[in-house]
Amino acid sequence: MRATLRGVLARLRIQLEPSILVLLAIPLFYYTLFFLAPLGSILIYGFGFDWNLILTPHYFNLAPIGAPYFVSTIHGVHILVLRGVDLGVVLNSLVIAAAVTLASTVLGVAVALLTGLYDFPGRRIFAVLAFLPLLIAPFVNMYVIRRLYGYGFELNTFSWLLSRLGIPFGIAFDKQAGVIFAQTLAFYPIVYVNVVAALGALDATLVEQALNLGSRGFKLLRTIILPLIMPGILAGAMLVYILSLEDVAAPIIFNFKNVMAYQIYYFFQSVAAGVGKPYEAAALSIILLLAVVAPLVVVRKYLSLRYYARLARGAPRPLQRIRLGRRGLLAAYLLVLPIAVAAAAPQIGVVVLAFAHRWTGPLPNGVTLNNYVQLFAMPGAFRGIINSVEYTLASLPLILIIGFATAYVIARLHLPGMTALDALATLPLAIPGLVVAFGYFVFLHNLFRATLLDPLVYPGVALVIAYAARKSPFTVRSVYTGVISTPPELEEAAKCLGSKRSRVIRTIVIPLVWKSMLAGLLLSAIYVLSEVSVSITIGALGGDITSPNHAGPITFVILRLIQAGGVVGGTQPQAVAAAMATILMALEAIVLATISKGLLRRGQALVSF
Amino acid sequence: MVEIRVEGVKKRFGKTVALAGVSLHVKPGELFAILGPSGCGKTTLLRIIAGFEYPDEGRVYFDGRDVTDMRPDERGAVMVFQNWALWPHMTVYDNIAYGLRIRKVPEDEIRKRVKRVLQLLGIEGLEHRYPHQLSGGQQQRVALARALVVEPKVLLLDEPLSNLDAKLRLRLRGEIRKLQRRLGITAIYVTHDQEEALAVADRVAVMHAGRIEQIGTPEEVYKYPRTLFTAVFLGKTSVLRGKVLRSDGDYVLVSVGSHRIKAMNCGVKEGDVAAVIIKAEAASLEPHDGATPIEGDVTVSMYIGSYVETRIAVNGQGEIIVNLPPAMRLQPGRRATLYLDPNLVYAFPYEAEEIRELAEEA
Ligand SMILES: Nc1ncnc2c1ncn2[C@@H]1O[C@H](COP(=O)(O)OP(=O)(O)O)[C@@H](O)[C@H]1O
Ligand SMILES: [Mg+2]
Repeated sequence: MRATLRGVLARLRIQLEPSILVLLAIPLFYYTLFFLAPLGSILIYGFGFDWNLILTPHYFNLAPIGAPYFVSTIHGVHILVLRGVDLGVVLNSLVIAAAVTLASTVLGVAVALLTGLYDFPGRRIFAVLAFLPLLIAPFVNMYVIRRLYGYGFELNTFSWLLSRLGIPFGIAFDKQAGVIFAQTLAFYPIVYVNVVAALGALDATLVEQALNLGSRGFKLLRTIILPLIMPGILAGAMLVYILSLEDVAAPIIFNFKNVMAYQIYYFFQSVAAGVGKPYEAAALSIILLLAVVAPLVVVRKYLSLRYYARLARGAPRPLQRIRLGRRGLLAAYLLVLPIAVAAAAPQIGVVVLAFAHRWTGPLPNGVTLNNYVQLFAMPGAFRGIINSVEYTLASLPLILIIGFATAYVIARLHLPGMTALDALATLPLAIPGLVVAFGYFVFLHNLFRATLLDPLVYPGVALVIAYAARKSPFTVRSVYTGVISTPPELEEAAKCLGSKRSRVIRTIVIPLVWKSMLAGLLLSAIYVLSEVSVSITIGALGGDITSPNHAGPITFVILRLIQAGGVVGGTQPQAVAAAMATILMALEAIVLATISKGLLRRGQALVSF
Repeated sequence: MVEIRVEGVKKRFGKTVALAGVSLHVKPGELFAILGPSGCGKTTLLRIIAGFEYPDEGRVYFDGRDVTDMRPDERGAVMVFQNWALWPHMTVYDNIAYGLRIRKVPEDEIRKRVKRVLQLLGIEGLEHRYPHQLSGGQQQRVALARALVVEPKVLLLDEPLSNLDAKLRLRLRGEIRKLQRRLGITAIYVTHDQEEALAVADRVAVMHAGRIEQIGTPEEVYKYPRTLFTAVFLGKTSVLRGKVLRSDGDYVLVSVGSHRIKAMNCGVKEGDVAAVIIKAEAASLEPHDGATPIEGDVTVSMYIGSYVETRIAVNGQGEIIVNLPPAMRLQPGRRATLYLDPNLVYAFPYEAEEIRELAEEA
């Protein structure tokens, strides 16, 4: 404003104590070197691609052939098989992501409004069912979805159940339709939790005012509630869109490989053999980046720390639930409950599979603990667990330092540019994981060739720093919320007694926000453990799971087990994968429950996806 | 003992002007009160003196040394916050010892000094409690102890008593005053409570809308207001509108309806429209030398204890509030004649805008 140069310099000197400079340097250094630079290297590789090819039918196919659906008869049951047409690698990804986002948003908003605004018998069951898919069981959930609703030589479980009820028709999802269906079931809870959190931050006074003005039912919903929770909806929808674009699990399981994420993943499959096409992978990464940047600019505010902290605080006076009328109840039970059950079924199915001998037909067979024994007996599987534990433990100190430094600086430093740092710190949440993986590969492999940082030499170091970059935002958000909810006077009181900033941080700030730090770290830890994109790409460069010394983490092992055929150690490898996934799910459940019960307020754990 | 000078300090937050140009001079060892309604910029001024905010313009000097560009920890001005800001994760002892530990005072010396300051404030025996285990009064004393134990050159108190009940406020303000004198600390005491300011301070600055209206001893600012705001803000006051008939040196005669009220001349001349400000204690029921009689109907009469607050409607000119001795309680509906001491009645040029604002604030 009217600031003189002298004033600006004085202000800088006052704020930028040495300790603050260190804290500021940490995120700038880390995110620049291990986030922006890898993404930047992709752009350089992008020049190697012949962009004239991008409009060929391989990428954009506007005249697809083939039937989007057909009817097949299995064991006398007529199955409507939904499939879809191939629109080319780029367009497929975009169409699938759009469809998944739309379906997830409708579903997530409906379930959230139902459980958030109304009270009815069974509401808690709804809420838990809708929450279950958030316990990520990488790849295995998709595998189970395929068993439940997919297409194969045998009836899927759903159609089999219908036939048992005497209905001779069934449905099966295959290829593109399978990907869309499976991703919707897996991702809609993200919209759900974001909307639930937004409802929780909704001040009852506003709604009551509208009620007093005579607004009722749909009008109230449309004119008052929806606009108020729109940020939550947009944030959730954005995350689903990104997750759909970066997901390789559904394309792998439903055997539909003509999407961008799979093609980038495929680069890693072939690079070790020296036949990878890096320029194409770079081009697809750039397109993926562009595809998320545009909508991100629109909803960025709602992914920011500031917005997150506001949600986490909740409303001063939250909304009272309304009792659902009889017609509403009927609609809830007939329309929404079946969907919630259908979406939660895979999670339950993962647990069932973990204890089953095998599951190849409509239903799993037998009960056994052998799958868990195999986790230790199969050298490759056990190695994966050890690797994951090591990588996670190694990444946590990094995450703690980055998380605290970033959060504290953004919360307490009053300098221009803090919004940019906020954006930078939350950006890793919004960049498709495969793009990050590819960026890491070209960056580290070219700049640090033949060193320990080169993923082709040893992927472990690259994995650890990539994990820290991708999963630190959970810690940043948690610590940020912790810092801004402690009054600044507590720090000022120490400062005016003569304390330098470093001492203030050590003696006042950290003792007051350690719970938020711990909560953030735990969240980051479970998301590191269940990280997929970097794990199955960079992580795959350290040997296959048949080798007892491979360098891949748990999710990589799960993927290989899911892809394996035949029988290993007397059980189906997919069942061993399920056993491994249940361990992840249990850890996730424990952490989320601990955090929401003890360490933080309720809303905070919920939005933390 | 430190002398504090503030020169031409301005500060805005976005569109809000918190300080519109403030200058003041606090003498060494003085207890200087800043008095003003809520939102007038008191806290902002104090935070600029402490170094928590940087002024848009203007400088702050301690003993002639420009401290504007210094950090709070380099200034040595210790602040006691309105919400006390005790560290919840530390015991009373550790809260108080904090400043001494920064100064690397040996632990046994710390023990002695903490003990002494606890005694001084009458809160011995609380050393091992945590802040949440203390009453409001105790917390306030701990906050004060934490500041005093380092024997600060400058003590900045931001409404230190506003979260306490009336009785405790009364007692603690006396204690703060005694300690500040005894330790020879230069102190700035911010409050919106005029009684508190007038009671404790050597000098008072009356603040309004980011400006200082007047600086003086409590008696000066109370009895000789130099601005309309100060006149209306201090004490219990009523405002009437009138026209200046005659001016004679220090006094003027103002016609208010059918009355002629004698008042101190605060910048009006013959023919001016004047705001006549009457302090509640200006009125008595006995005629006396030089007093102005004024007649009206009693509308309200409230027994407060040591006096009766009485409202009197003055023939279509508005109401005035006066304090009368309990022995002479007037019943509502009665007609009464009051006698106003012209030394507690002030005639200022009439500023409609400001008077409306003041009425809203009151
Ligand atoms: N950090 C801030 N950001 C924005 N406005 C502020 C801030 N601090 C104070 N203000 C505004 O400046 C004005 C003066 O505030 P303050 O100094 O706290 O007044 P007081 O202490 O006299 O009540 C008020 O209008 C207040 O809302
Ligand atoms: Mg204040």
